Amino acid sequence: MGGVRLLEWLVPAVPVEAVDWDAVYREELARVFNYFRYRGFERATAEDLTSTTFEKAWRARERYRKDRAAVSTWLVAIARNVAIDHLRRPRREVPLEDAKARDEATPETMALHEAQLHRLRGLLAALPERERELLALKFGAGETNRAIATITGLSESNVGTILHRTVGALRDRWDEGERP
Amino acid sequence: MSDDFLFRLREDPRPEFAGRLDERLHEIDARERERRLLAPAPPRRLLPVLAGALAVAALAFAFTLDPVRAAAREFLDLFRVKRFAAVPVDPQRLARLAQGGLDLKSLVGEQVQVVVPPQPPEAVASPEAAAAEAGITVRLPAVLPPRTELVETKLSRAAAFRVQIDTGKLEALAEAAGADEISIPAFWNGATIDVDVPPVVAVRYARPIDAAEGRPPHDDGYLLLQSAVPQVELPQGFDLATLGRLGLRLAGMSAEEALSFSRAIDWRTTLLVPVPIQGGTFREVEVAGHRGLLVIVALPRDASADASGPRPRSRAMLLWSTDDGVFALQGPATNGGAGLLEMAESVR
Repeated sequence: MGGVRLLEWLVPAVPVEAVDWDAVYREELARVFNYFRYRGFERATAEDLTSTTFEKAWRARERYRKDRAAVSTWLVAIARNVAIDHLRRPRREVPLEDAKARDEATPETMALHEAQLHRLRGLLAALPERERELLALKFGAGETNRAIATITGLSESNVGTILHRTVGALRDRWDEGERP
Repeated sequence: MSDDFLFRLREDPRPEFAGRLDERLHEIDARERERRLLAPAPPRRLLPVLAGALAVAALAFAFTLDPVRAAAREFLDLFRVKRFAAVPVDPQRLARLAQGGLDLKSLVGEQVQVVVPPQPPEAVASPEAAAAEAGITVRLPAVLPPRTELVETKLSRAAAFRVQIDTGKLEALAEAAGADEISIPAFWNGATIDVDVPPVVAVRYARPIDAAEGRPPHDDGYLLLQSAVPQVELPQGFDLATLGRLGLRLAGMSAEEALSFSRAIDWRTTLLVPVPIQGGTFREVEVAGHRGLLVIVALPRDASADASGPRPRSRAMLLWSTDDGVFALQGPATNGGAGLLEMAESVR
């Protein structure tokens, strides 16, 4: 059709795939951001890494294959690589507990049971890297065990076992702190 | 075992951060568009044009209308491809418009909704298998270039798009193009055009030695695309010529040129094929009694290649339609496309 044809060649960016990337951004931003937060990065660093993740994904989105992975899983896989690259770079990473005072001093977070959050971050910070990574994928990025297995290369049952054990241990420590 | 406590750390990103990142992502798009359009002559600068022309075959080629849906809506006009017309396009003109703040993606792209997403072409066992899947009679060339053979058959499955007319955005386009002579009818606003893209069969012929040498077999190969005849029904009173003139103005034609061009073609039967104003030539040809369009594009020398290396090659695209199908044949432009024409003449 001449008219439609005109529209199409005048606008090379006319979508030819089903993915609405603007919607992906809106829907996935919080998951990616929380992935980094659960990994232990302070807010400013988490924002930087979130930006890096989305910019990488944005530039590579034509290569995204939806038959291989859900877009959320694809994004989190990129985020994971971004985190790995960041941690490899020599720098002084501010520990969660130290960063807290500077990082969280916003009215919103102050209203969210500051002491509890502080303690929870401390518990997460004390976890081994692998366990913290899995918790970040599970509770920060909201991934399923199957997706986490795809991203990390662990088996799904292994992911489930580690998460169950880690959450149980955290639960015990959390409950201990809740007792008067 | 409850893990609710672990969700307490979740937080929403700051709105100002989210807004800034959103802007940055769209700046990436703008820069990428400018980079593509402003690139003087990258090695494959013109391949996208061929690819775009191929897209004519692979996507816009075939617009059919579901008769049930057609009956449910009040469509009166019908577009059906019978011939092709080349339109000289100045990519830098679009780049300049983009630099001037024209966001074509938001103005036009957002009006296109993907109803059935197109899938990557999938390999099938044979042209016969592709024909069965596509529901068409696949025609093949009886004459092949020396030492070439059928190396691959692919099938692109049906897809569907919906274009919704937004007169405000069309007026913004006209303003950006300086086309104040074009008036967008107000009653177009909200009208939708459903574009159904039927399956496209692609058969590739190449020299087997290409693969052995590690070169992509399509580098010097021939690609024949075919599909059912494209057609689309249009809303009542929808004037393709007006929309077409707007496109021509955006592409760089003057008001007089666009008007003249517009009057010279039948918009209900003519599919436009963009040809870059630099490096591209075209001419009307006859293919087995049918009118066709031969587009030849000189591939610029790879900037990294040795200047004393082989001279730049040309690629050609031959488009034609018959009563029951639309065809595109792409291949080397040897002898001004004479070989391609001979091959096309033998398609049956």
